[in-house]
Amino acid sequence: MSLEQFKNRNVGTQNYVMLDLGKEPANNWEKFKQVVRRSVKLELFTGLKVTFREMIKALFMGEMHTVKYPFEKLPIAPRYRAIHEMKRLLESGHYRCIGCGLCEKICIANCIRMDTRYDENQRKEVSEYTINFGRCIFCGYCAEVCPELAIVHGGRYEVSSEQRASFALFEDMLTPIDKLTEQKEYPGFGAVSPDADKKIKKTPLAY
Amino acid sequence: MSKAENVKTVTLTIDGKEVTTRWGNTILQAAREAGIYIPTMCYLSKVEPIASCRMCVVEVEGVDGMILSCQEKAVDGAVVRTGSEALFRERQKIMELYDVNHPLECGVCDKSGECDLQNKTLEFAVDTQEFTARDQCRPVQNWGFISYDPALCIMCERCVRVCTEIVGDESLQISPGGYKSTIVNVKPDEPCAECGECMAVCPVGALVSTDFKYSSNAWELEKIPGACAHCSAGCELRYEVKHASIDDPEPKIYRVTNDFEFASLCGAGRFGYDFENRGARKDPEAFARAVEALRKAETIRFSSVISNEEALLLARIARHTGARLVCDDARGYQKFLRAYREASGKSLYGGNLGKLQRSDMIVVFATRLYDDAPMVKYAIATASKRQKAQVVYCHPMEDPRIQNLVTRLIRYEAGAEEGVAALLADLLVDRRRAPEELRRFLEDLDIGYLSAESNVSEEEIEAVRRVMWKRKRFTLVVGADVYNHPRVENIARILAAIERYSDFDLIAIPPASNSLGVSLICDLADEAQGYTVGYNAPGDFVLSALGDGDLDMPAMNQQEGTLTTIAKRVVPTYPALPYGGYELADLARALGIGIEHVIDLTPELPAEEGFSPVAFDDLPLGYDNLGTELRGYLLENAPREGEALPEEPAEIDSYDGTVVYRCDPGNLFGPFTARTHQLAAEAKLVGSAQFAAAAKIADGERVRFEVDGIAFERVFTIDTSMKGTIAINPVFDTGLRSFAISSYRFSPARIHHAGDADE
Ligand code: SF4
Ligand code: SF4
Ligand code: SF4
Ligand code: SF4
Ligand code: SF4
Repeated sequence: MSLEQFKNRNVGTQNYVMLDLGKEPANNWEKFKQVVRRSVKLELFTGLKVTFREMIKALFMGEMHTVKYPFEKLPIAPRYRAIHEMKRLLESGHYRCIGCGLCEKICIANCIRMDTRYDENQRKEVSEYTINFGRCIFCGYCAEVCPELAIVHGGRYEVSSEQRASFALFEDMLTPIDKLTEQKEYPGFGAVSPDADKKIKKTPLAY
Repeated sequence: MSKAENVKTVTLTIDGKEVTTRWGNTILQAAREAGIYIPTMCYLSKVEPIASCRMCVVEVEGVDGMILSCQEKAVDGAVVRTGSEALFRERQKIMELYDVNHPLECGVCDKSGECDLQNKTLEFAVDTQEFTARDQCRPVQNWGFISYDPALCIMCERCVRVCTEIVGDESLQISPGGYKSTIVNVKPDEPCAECGECMAVCPVGALVSTDFKYSSNAWELEKIPGACAHCSAGCELRYEVKHASIDDPEPKIYRVTNDFEFASLCGAGRFGYDFENRGARKDPEAFARAVEALRKAETIRFSSVISNEEALLLARIARHTGARLVCDDARGYQKFLRAYREASGKSLYGGNLGKLQRSDMIVVFATRLYDDAPMVKYAIATASKRQKAQVVYCHPMEDPRIQNLVTRLIRYEAGAEEGVAALLADLLVDRRRAPEELRRFLEDLDIGYLSAESNVSEEEIEAVRRVMWKRKRFTLVVGADVYNHPRVENIARILAAIERYSDFDLIAIPPASNSLGVSLICDLADEAQGYTVGYNAPGDFVLSALGDGDLDMPAMNQQEGTLTTIAKRVVPTYPALPYGGYELADLARALGIGIEHVIDLTPELPAEEGFSPVAFDDLPLGYDNLGTELRGYLLENAPREGEALPEEPAEIDSYDGTVVYRCDPGNLFGPFTARTHQLAAEAKLVGSAQFAAAAKIADGERVRFEVDGIAFERVFTIDTSMKGTIAINPVFDTGLRSFAISSYRFSPARIHHAGDADE
């Protein structure tokens, strides 16, 4: 639609259909008669029928729709970006994070910090990791940049705290080892695309 | 005496740009000089071209095929193209080969973010591996300070070349075998120099610091330029700083890096960086006591680990309060320099490390080179490899660690330095140039006596004369053994005469960090007297950057200022870490000397001594594209009046029995290095089996002895590579006391078993 058309408010020349709404009351007497007529004909109860039906269902048939937050919570969309989770490898149970520091680098709010060290197995170990949720803007960059699908967003959206700064440690975000089997992949920001398999090319092997 | 090099130039066209460069430069150098980029992988400016990567190929008009620009000299009129479709393909193919089976571990690799392989893989868009080779198990090797991961190594050879050509250690070699080639450490049992040069130049993460490994990503570290203050070389370095950990937001130095393309470091600079005075707080009471102490002090005693500005400030404080200045580790050097000036006709020695690198005849005298002056040793190693230099090493103790560099060893008796200097003068002074009096001095020398007493035979001297034949560039290096010799002034005059009347340039290694600066700035007295305030030195009231004194002071990595180096260069250093206590400027202010910051004094350093009136913030840093140092400025070496002649050498005292030589080993230079976490070590008395027999002690035994007024008790170990009855005694573990030693380095010592009572 071009701008001229858009600005054309001459309804008569467009495809509008006029509804027959009857005659407008012309004077106070007619207005009074309309009010009396509507009240006596119980049109009001037609309008309230749904409300009454739901009230009866809720009060007497146990079909309440009110969510009693915080005792009850609505499910949220799987791609919602709330408090981060740290995933584990399903095979070994080891945390997935390799300590590359890309999340720390990319974080736009500068709220990720990590300490790493050379461990006894000659691997890079994440010795400590924090996110300051007081600063996090839940942009999802960290989840997107993570090469290991280690840091992802989760569904925990309640982030109020008594202080501006509120730090979560690695352990707080890591899938508990006994819940490993319940660990789900995150389908949102940073996840592998559904056609990822098609895009992967195999390196030739000499053996 | 300097032979003016007539600078011939050539002009060529690179990528349509007309470039003029020195004759003899390669195409690559010409391009870099003009700021034109040619990609390289193995090229390292400070060593001879390695030519293992072939990335630097260029096209030259009229020449078939591609040319290695790192090898080919620039010629007049050449038309060079550095980028074309074909060249890109060629370079891309090289990168594809480098990337075959390269572990995909940038995510954890220490080098990530500053890795040449990573950068060039992206630059040449290598995203797939089209072919393959059988991979093999190549486990990580730990060489002490350094770890080697052969899986990441691209066999560029840089590490081998610096170890040989720059450090002179020859510890690394290539084990050839095509795809199976690796670098091997040929000294796995005995430690190499542990300088970390190999790991600095490694373009990938194959050689990394074991201590630093996996502790931080390169891009998280803030780089703060500094100058190493452990010895007089004042090497350029960068302290890399970040918060200590999540729990501790205080900054911490994680590692030291440097401009490895052009400059080098020794292990002390590279691994000994955390010597800061931690946790110093302002204590007003201690401060008031310090001001009081300075007011009444008759002597201010300090060490050479001090900036030029602080030395000048101490001189002003001393003038203000009437105190005398004592700096034990610079006093002898000042005497040497002053006597040298009167005899040489100029204010400073004429040699420098650049000339030393290009020398083909080098005489090293009175220094245990390997431990005293790593950068001088590096320069000699380079001269030895590139110029096939004759290196004559004159010292009472043989040093097997530099056997590969030394072509002739002249072992003289401890204490005989003056005699040896005279013998050298007799050998080196060009009689045709020398004035009549000097000739007479040389004729009057009792060569027979000198050579008998110093134990240097005339044949040895004659042999040196023979190897000097047809040599072109000469350097004479003198070190710390002579500065505290009772006859230092005469030795200085003899050496000045050699420099003045021969082709030799002299380098007088300053014995400690900023001894040269202190010698030029302060008027030093011989002895402390009365109430003494020590600044990083013992005294009745001690200001200490080690944190063990009566008032804390900032260490060299916590303050700004300049140092004067062996290169006669004034170089700036910046604070890498915060400091919470009082500084010398605060004390000066309290004493009524109007000064805000010590660096306000940088332009006021004495111009008559060669300093320039440049403000601290205007001092430049870094190198230009061809490696010319731009850091700070050079002292002016002004001509001086005077032609003082040496006098007849005094009688030579001989030392009988067991002698100990004061020397901190390898990477240790005094208490500041000794407190760093990587270098901290146990101090041991080290001697030969012959020494053990003479002192009647056994290997591994605890012994007791007293030298320089310090009672030592430490373990004695036998070093089978040593000979003779001189043992090496380090002082790095004696704290500030080590800065108050001004005696001659060799001392006779009676060694007792630790348990025995005094006789
Ligand atoms: S979501 Fe964004 S702001 Fe929050 S931690 Fe990740 S990168 Fe930082
Ligand atoms: S980006 Fe992922 S793997 Fe890298 S440090 Fe962050 S969480 Fe760990
Ligand atoms: S050496 Fe370079 S390319 Fe190889 S893993 Fe390390 S950072 Fe990556
Ligand atoms: S260890 Fe490093 S410097 Fe040495 S050859 Fe391998 S890649 Fe080159
Ligand atoms: S100790 Fe001396 S040679 Fe070693 S890095 Fe420091 S200044 Fe350079």
